[in-house]
Amino acid sequence: MYSYPSNMVLSILAGRIVSLRAERLLVEFVYSLMDSEFVAEDRQKTNASLAAEREDVRLSRQGDSDAYTRLIKQHQSHVSRMLWRFSRDRLVHEELIQDVFVEAYLSLGSYREKAPFGHWLSRIATRIGYRYWKQLARRGETESFSLAEWDQLPGKSPDDIDPGQAADLLHRLLAQLRPRDRLVLTLRYLEGCDVAETARRTGWTKSLVKIQSLRARKRLEKLFAQTGKGLKE
Amino acid sequence: MKNESLFEALSARARSESPPSVDVASRVIAILNAEQNRIERMAEKPLLWLAAASSAFAVPAVIVAIMVYNASTGPLYEISQAIAWVVQ
Repeated sequence: MYSYPSNMVLSILAGRIVSLRAERLLVEFVYSLMDSEFVAEDRQKTNASLAAEREDVRLSRQGDSDAYTRLIKQHQSHVSRMLWRFSRDRLVHEELIQDVFVEAYLSLGSYREKAPFGHWLSRIATRIGYRYWKQLARRGETESFSLAEWDQLPGKSPDDIDPGQAADLLHRLLAQLRPRDRLVLTLRYLEGCDVAETARRTGWTKSLVKIQSLRARKRLEKLFAQTGKGLKE
Repeated sequence: MKNESLFEALSARARSESPPSVDVASRVIAILNAEQNRIERMAEKPLLWLAAASSAFAVPAVIVAIMVYNASTGPLYEISQAIAWVVQ
């Protein structure tokens, strides 16, 4: 075993630390270069798809049905995902999606292209879904909800529950609330939207979204408190 | 609150649900075409009524014009015939 004088050990140690730092910096630099290349590539792809989308919007305005078909095919899964929160009946769900694209086509003139077409569609989808809930509420059609199902849940871990089953249960639970409360809770919790996104999709102000969320949560708590008294079954 | 945390956990779980696949493109285009045809038919209707009204006015006007022409040119023709006979 070699023994080094203490001053030599210190100098070796310092050199090692410096080389480690340099190595780390070099690796970070290489990674940042790779990242910037990927980011630039992604940005190019995004710009190209946005330009194609704008062109399709322009052609659709001139009555080109092929261009509008391309737009529908591009966005229908996104719209379908959003509207599945508003109706879990497949026929109604498809009708709502159709309504979104028909209404979007008829109001293409008001689309200013400030935001991507998908964002604009999501606002229309939210409006149509909300309108559907209001119609149901006016007709007094409330989906059935059994408290027994909710009571059985605490025994299970949420991870053990099928996502479809969880969504279905929440859908029916929220159906017991007023459409306005139901909308804000659906967007905030089920869709995972933040306040700004909820405001954008509903057309409400951010402060209104906050107030509405608070009120809706209180009403939900009240609903849970009614467990002993019973809900609409 | 137990129920609220369960609600949040279920919401997170529900987010991973995939909706049923749909293809509404052809139906939407069919609806839009039908709507377009309806609008065009509505737009054509006033023009049809205008055409019918103008032909209804035009036919009697042409008949009256022919009668007036005949009435106004008949005596002149006879006078010109008489003058031709005298000259001969």
